[in-house]
Amino acid sequence: MIDLEFVINTLSLGSLYALLALGLVLVYGILKLVNFAYGEYIMIAGYAIYLSATLLHAPWYLTLLIAVLAAVLVSYLTELIAFRPVRSQSPNALIVTSFAVSVFLQNVVLIMVSPRARPVQLPFFFSRTIEIAGATVPLRNLLVIAVTAVLLVALSLLMKKTVVGMAMRAAADKFTTTRLMGVPANLVISTAFVISGLLAGVASIFWVSRSASVDPLTGAAPLLIAFIAVVTGGMHSTVGAVVGGFVYGLVFNLLSVTLPASMISYRDAFMFALVVVFLLFRPAGIIKRGYTEERVG
Amino acid sequence: MMDKITAFIRKHQTVVLLAVPLVLAGVLISMFGSRLLLDIYTYFCVSLGMVYGLQVFMGNSGILSWTHVGFVGIGAYVTGILVTPPMVKEMGVPNMYPALVDLSLPVVPSILIGALVAAAIAALIGYPLMRLNDFASVITLFATLIVIHVVMTQWDNVTNGPRTFFGLPQWTTWGIALGGALLMLLAAYWFRESGLGLKLRATRDDRYAAAAIGIDMIFTRYLGFVLSALMAGFVGGLWALYITSFSPKSFYMAEMFLLLSMLVIGGSGSVSGATVGAVVVTIAREVLRQVEATINNAHVLSFEVFGLTELVMAVLMVMVLIWRPSGVVGGQELRLPRFGKKKDVPAEVDGLAA
Amino acid sequence: MAMLTVENLEASYGAVRALHGISIEVAEGELVALLGVNGVGKSTTLKSIMGVLRPVKGTITFEGQEITNRSPEKIVKRGISLVPEGREIFGTLTVEENLRLGAYVGFKRDRYKADLEEMFELFPILKDRFHQAGGLLSGGEQQMLAIARALMGHPKLIMLDEPSLGLSPAMTDQIFQLIVTLKERGSTILLVEQNAERALEIVDRAYLLANGQIEHAGTAEEIKRKVDVASVYFGDQTDADSCEVSL
Repeated sequence: MIDLEFVINTLSLGSLYALLALGLVLVYGILKLVNFAYGEYIMIAGYAIYLSATLLHAPWYLTLLIAVLAAVLVSYLTELIAFRPVRSQSPNALIVTSFAVSVFLQNVVLIMVSPRARPVQLPFFFSRTIEIAGATVPLRNLLVIAVTAVLLVALSLLMKKTVVGMAMRAAADKFTTTRLMGVPANLVISTAFVISGLLAGVASIFWVSRSASVDPLTGAAPLLIAFIAVVTGGMHSTVGAVVGGFVYGLVFNLLSVTLPASMISYRDAFMFALVVVFLLFRPAGIIKRGYTEERVG
Repeated sequence: MMDKITAFIRKHQTVVLLAVPLVLAGVLISMFGSRLLLDIYTYFCVSLGMVYGLQVFMGNSGILSWTHVGFVGIGAYVTGILVTPPMVKEMGVPNMYPALVDLSLPVVPSILIGALVAAAIAALIGYPLMRLNDFASVITLFATLIVIHVVMTQWDNVTNGPRTFFGLPQWTTWGIALGGALLMLLAAYWFRESGLGLKLRATRDDRYAAAAIGIDMIFTRYLGFVLSALMAGFVGGLWALYITSFSPKSFYMAEMFLLLSMLVIGGSGSVSGATVGAVVVTIAREVLRQVEATINNAHVLSFEVFGLTELVMAVLMVMVLIWRPSGVVGGQELRLPRFGKKKDVPAEVDGLAA
Repeated sequence: MAMLTVENLEASYGAVRALHGISIEVAEGELVALLGVNGVGKSTTLKSIMGVLRPVKGTITFEGQEITNRSPEKIVKRGISLVPEGREIFGTLTVEENLRLGAYVGFKRDRYKADLEEMFELFPILKDRFHQAGGLLSGGEQQMLAIARALMGHPKLIMLDEPSLGLSPAMTDQIFQLIVTLKERGSTILLVEQNAERALEIVDRAYLLANGQIEHAGTAEEIKRKVDVASVYFGDQTDADSCEVSL
């Protein structure tokens, strides 16, 4: 069953997962923060599509734009309000804070919108299918591959060619020393969160399009995927995150086609078990990095 | 002889300082309090037991112990399966393995077996987990919780899947809950003050220095992890016998967040912190629940506010982390301030703020 | 008026008091050293000046303006650069990128090009390794990169934290020679060194620290005469105080 359709679908799934992983690792690299609220950026973007479509009756391109902007805004604000004051504390404190922020956001949405799932309208062409060399592929799968490619290139250019990108890479390497260069710490961190939100917003569009609905817990699954992808791919580099995303997508699809029907519901358990076993042999992930971690503060 | 006893009590005054109000509260509430208040107290005692178990590992090792509620759940399910009469199991869990259906044991052994099963599972999977670095261990423990949850939700034949498992007798009275909490208090305190606990705290405060003096970090963590799971399983059994019916949902994120908030707000570094945190959070939640109900019943707002409690707890947690990161209590155990002449007591060599 | 004035600086790491009231001065164009054994508070002083550490008490004044408790980014803008202990090169960035970041404050493109040329003159090795990752450089090369990086920002005051640490004697010679060159070009330098003998050969003045306090201060000559420097290191000061284990 490994045919062109499988390859394209795996590439598209891998692309989506790579986006998810990338948004998470950007913040982790600099702040050493495992951001549990990241899933909620995705969830809120999904709700933004829903609300802008139903309340504002916005055309599809606007709803998608609003979704991405919403994710960026929430990401930026959570850093400003919750993470910045806790930044000088231990990594544990940061993680617990992100967990609290996640709970907060989930409940805000629960209270202000509804605990029940809401339908999300995606552009009509998302569900169109296309024939390529005998394979039938949903258009959105091709779209996600294209969008991811564009974003990856743009992000690489940003990181390699601009001073901001340089500063972010430096901050991920040695945070305090970056400040000694006169680079404002807050700028670097806010930028990372903004980009993280951007990636979350874009990923959310494709994520939500698979179920065409959103509820307060929508963010949990992509968060977990991002976690696992980053950890297996290598938490010290953006390349690692992307690789992790694709590998995760591949393993996921492989398990889906090879597991007997009775075990399919245990697929997630299998995945995590595989990940745990992998980590025991290679704790640094697939892509290793030579330097040790430094803490912020 | 009296001197020895007073010295002993003075040395371990924390236990006394915590246990006495706990017992007093229970006695007073059982005599004069309403039924509702007694329920809240009983539930509080059980939560307290859970938090103590969490403190044992997380407080002393500094590792976020996501799996804790999973082990509570394992204890609960094992106890449930062993205690519930076969007839009820046949009805309630239609797909259960016949061997399990026939199994029936008295309450106390069931709880103990539940604890042992949880500890055994922790022992099985725990050692490699302790080797992981900070980021990986956070994610992996988190993933392990999810694995446990998935298994609970899917394994129809044992847990009744995502549906409710019911039929347990309500064996846990306020007294038993209190007893369990006190037992857990003693265990957590003993562990913290023991050589093992001290070693573990050393690895938390400075892992390189700890390694330099010969502490086997992985093994120390491992023992703490297993003990923590044992305690979790035990309390899980008690809890199951109080609530009489539950589902995998009860042992997942929401519960974990609750326990985490108790420990963080109170202060994860000490047993006193765990206690204070549990008290604060329980009171806060009850108050918020009332507020929520009042708002909803008065139809002040056009929509219903469910989740206000969680929201406020989240904000409280972040506020504590910003302004008092080692919790209300801070890292040390509660002691009475010293009055009068200072005797030549050797300084307590306790670590810096947790 | 001195360019940098530190008055009664007290600093702690958690519950441990590292500095018990340090007062030092650096005038424009001077090359001043902070000397002392390991753990005595030299790096702590530099970090406090730089804003990386928050002092408990005391004031730090630079060019007449108080800079106590300011953030590192602001202090860099004022014109102080720190070459940190251990070099702290961005290992995953290239030499070029390290230098570019050094020039972050007040960056001007034409001046940047001229500055790079100057750096290549002072440190020819950097030109050869311009596009290599910083982590691939040797210890000595990294030290040079760290100094060059600090210079790119045209600082008014350069602080060097243990530049000879971990370097071979030949490399140490080169570094010290470099510091002299910098001084001759008019830079104001505050140098922290464990290698007191070598430092005293090149500096104008020095402060000798012990246990978080200044034990001796004066010109290089005075210190050399007054203090048997070797004994400070090898334990003629055997009172209980100096046995204290400080951070």
